[in-house]
Amino acid sequence: MAKITVNGEVQEVQLPLTVAELLQQSDVQQPDMVSVQLNEEFLERNEFPTQQLQEGDEVEFLYFMGGGQVYV
Amino acid sequence: MTHTLDITQEHCPMTFVRTKLKLAQIEKGDILEVLLSEGEPLENVPRSAEEQGFKVIAVEHVEGPVHRVIIEK
Amino acid sequence: MYDFTEEELKRYSRHILLQDVGVEGQEKIKQGKVLVVGAGGLGAPVALYLAAAGVGTIGIVDGDVVDISNLQRQIIHFTPDTDRPKVDSAREKIKLINPNVKVNTYKQFLSADNALDIIKEYDFVVDGTDNFPVKFLINDACVMAGKPFSHGGILRFEGQTFTHLPGTACYRCLFNSPPPAGAVPTCSQAGVLGAIAGMLGTIQAAETLKYLTGVGELLTDRLLTFNAKTMEFRKIKTRRHDHCPLCGTHPTVKELVDYEQPTCELKKHK
Repeated sequence: MAKITVNGEVQEVQLPLTVAELLQQSDVQQPDMVSVQLNEEFLERNEFPTQQLQEGDEVEFLYFMGGGQVYV
Repeated sequence: MTHTLDITQEHCPMTFVRTKLKLAQIEKGDILEVLLSEGEPLENVPRSAEEQGFKVIAVEHVEGPVHRVIIEK
Repeated sequence: MYDFTEEELKRYSRHILLQDVGVEGQEKIKQGKVLVVGAGGLGAPVALYLAAAGVGTIGIVDGDVVDISNLQRQIIHFTPDTDRPKVDSAREKIKLINPNVKVNTYKQFLSADNALDIIKEYDFVVDGTDNFPVKFLINDACVMAGKPFSHGGILRFEGQTFTHLPGTACYRCLFNSPPPAGAVPTCSQAGVLGAIAGMLGTIQAAETLKYLTGVGELLTDRLLTFNAKTMEFRKIKTRRHDHCPLCGTHPTVKELVDYEQPTCELKKHK
């Protein structure tokens, strides 16, 4: 088990774990609407399935927020 | 240079508002003599001036309810 | 110097009393020109507070008319304004709050064709829009023109905002392009608690006034996000990223783009 910080909260996770797997585990409904910062570095979407997480990593999920309008 | 401001007819907080306006219009180092009434103005203006970084040189009684506050910018 | 009328002295007395603002700060607000893009959920509180503060010139961009579903959160519009162009409704309320404010209205939507022209005369731009294509457009246009701006977005019970000054993180440093075309938002994406618009929009108004007066620290290189369910507010550190397609070392976005709006499949097939 390793300790990582996700959105400001410390979590214990089982390694090995990729960013894509973390998104799934975290119940993120629409991964396409999420941007990821790993240790303050922006992660390209195509790196989610390959980027491995390590002890002490800080992950931020940034959500697209538009809000209010229904697209017609 | 010395300037004067008469706010004896004003109520708080317009007392300090007018004081600040005058202070903004004079040069650094100039003196502003403010005539004000006892009660709230006398209690508030010198204290607020000091809080906001102006130097209150003196507070003098003039006559009756009127007082003078001498402020250096 | 500091030529305020009696009415202005009284009107702005609560600003003037502040050590950090004073007559000098109020004068800066008076000289300020701010463009508010979108007269909706976010644009409404922004415009109202900037008008109250005495911002000299407020520009409002919106091609829409007021719909009854807007009234739940777009507090600058009232029931009798239904079916009225939003910019006209907004202008009226701004002038009622503060007749000293000059209001420029643009009864159109911001696009790749008009963006640079419209933002040109303003000191600061506020993103009060509710869709991603125009958020990217505002970001791109402002970065290209060197204009400071406030980004804002809300969704359900959450909000996020940051302020951009030239050289600091831009929207594409965080989200390098709009969501993929296939990622159609579900209808619940359109749901938002009305008051959230006020919470976020007012923060944007405060950032705007801080920019104009020079007070405090702006939300640059930080993304402020909050969740109203828990009232948890967080600041996520960000910065200008080398890889950013717009302001990075090898930019690929060299001109303004009108991205397509994704459509709700259900509506398309109706």
